[in-house]
Amino acid sequence: MLEKTKNIARQILEEKKASAVFGLMRNEWNIIQPHLFEDPAGLANLVLEPKWLLAKLAMRILRSSPENYKLAVICRGCDERALIELIKRNQIEKENLLTIGIACSQEQAAICLCDRPYPEKLDAGEKVSGVDPFQDERVRKFLIGNDKERMKRWADMLKRCIKCYGCRNSCPICICEPCKLEDDVWVQRGVVPAETITFHLIRAFHLSDTCVACGACQEACPVNIPLLYLQLGMRKTLREKYGYEAGLDPETKSPVLSSAFEKPDTDREFPDWINSLREEDES
Amino acid sequence: MNQPRILIFACKWCGFIGADAAGKKRISLPSRFRVIPMECASLVETDAILRALAGGIDGIAVLGCHIGGCRYNNANHTAIKRLELLQDLLDTTGIGSSRLLLSFGTAHEDYQFEEIIKNFFDELTLLPPLDPWL
Repeated sequence: MLEKTKNIARQILEEKKASAVFGLMRNEWNIIQPHLFEDPAGLANLVLEPKWLLAKLAMRILRSSPENYKLAVICRGCDERALIELIKRNQIEKENLLTIGIACSQEQAAICLCDRPYPEKLDAGEKVSGVDPFQDERVRKFLIGNDKERMKRWADMLKRCIKCYGCRNSCPICICEPCKLEDDVWVQRGVVPAETITFHLIRAFHLSDTCVACGACQEACPVNIPLLYLQLGMRKTLREKYGYEAGLDPETKSPVLSSAFEKPDTDREFPDWINSLREEDES
Repeated sequence: MNQPRILIFACKWCGFIGADAAGKKRISLPSRFRVIPMECASLVETDAILRALAGGIDGIAVLGCHIGGCRYNNANHTAIKRLELLQDLLDTTGIGSSRLLLSFGTAHEDYQFEEIIKNFFDELTLLPPLDPWL
């Protein structure tokens, strides 16, 4: 997989399809870091492990570079979905972005609770089947019980928050400027732990239909709050009701933005008189 | 036990007219609720709902127009979809989706408004308090 990725990257650089390839490099002190490969010779140091989300960095590079600067990003499934979501949000020009998709291993998918551990445009590696997060023991243990038990569990968990904003800063899709989480109207400032309902649930809901389940928030959390579990229910609903999953296709808009006629739910029935009303409208 | 407190966001074309009419007819209603008229149900920010919950409100009702009867290009559809997603989040965290009442089209008339609010009050009285969160 590594050799194949290197070959593709070399080809891209030699044919000047992109100005640089963005990936991970093992540097001279044996430390792995994100790196912009502009010279094909440097690709010898390219590595693919560990999982490192490059989407947010790639967005910053593309935003601060000249207009016709093209970037090829070596990305995993979640990275690719995040980049597509950023394209949808007009943060990245679609023409300026190339992706080299690599598949994750089965172990990695199990760690991340990933139900889609491969990119849509797969260039290197073998597709492995995803994990259903709701079947996982960790998730089940956390989400079982009645409302009262769950509320207690979540409240205790979220009260560990030290308000480092790591979840927001690491999220590839959290891009709003200014951010509501820094505004006194919504979340009281200067209070630790953060107000549980507002801080965490506002953040979680802002990502309701955009979350690509990369797990960056959870990995960044210094007190190990399982923030990804907040998103799972909403992602499931979107998939079951509207057949929508974030980050699969830059053209498909979130169903939350369209009316129930354009994108009907699977289980919503309309009263009879609506049809007559619509015909009147059209005539 | 304390009576629950309710905040109602009502679309000014349907829900608010119903609420207003209920007041004019002197229908006896539980006292601990406030109605905020909105231009459209789709303008109810989900963040405001969460803020209200954090501020000690026990239940929030969003009253909008009939599906298909919206004045603003089916804007109430997006409101339903969004708020139903929020209900999912509330369920996951154990706050419970029953704290967020969505009523589209049934709040047209005063007696329906009365019924909705009374039922909502009864339902909220049975729910565990939000204390662990605050």
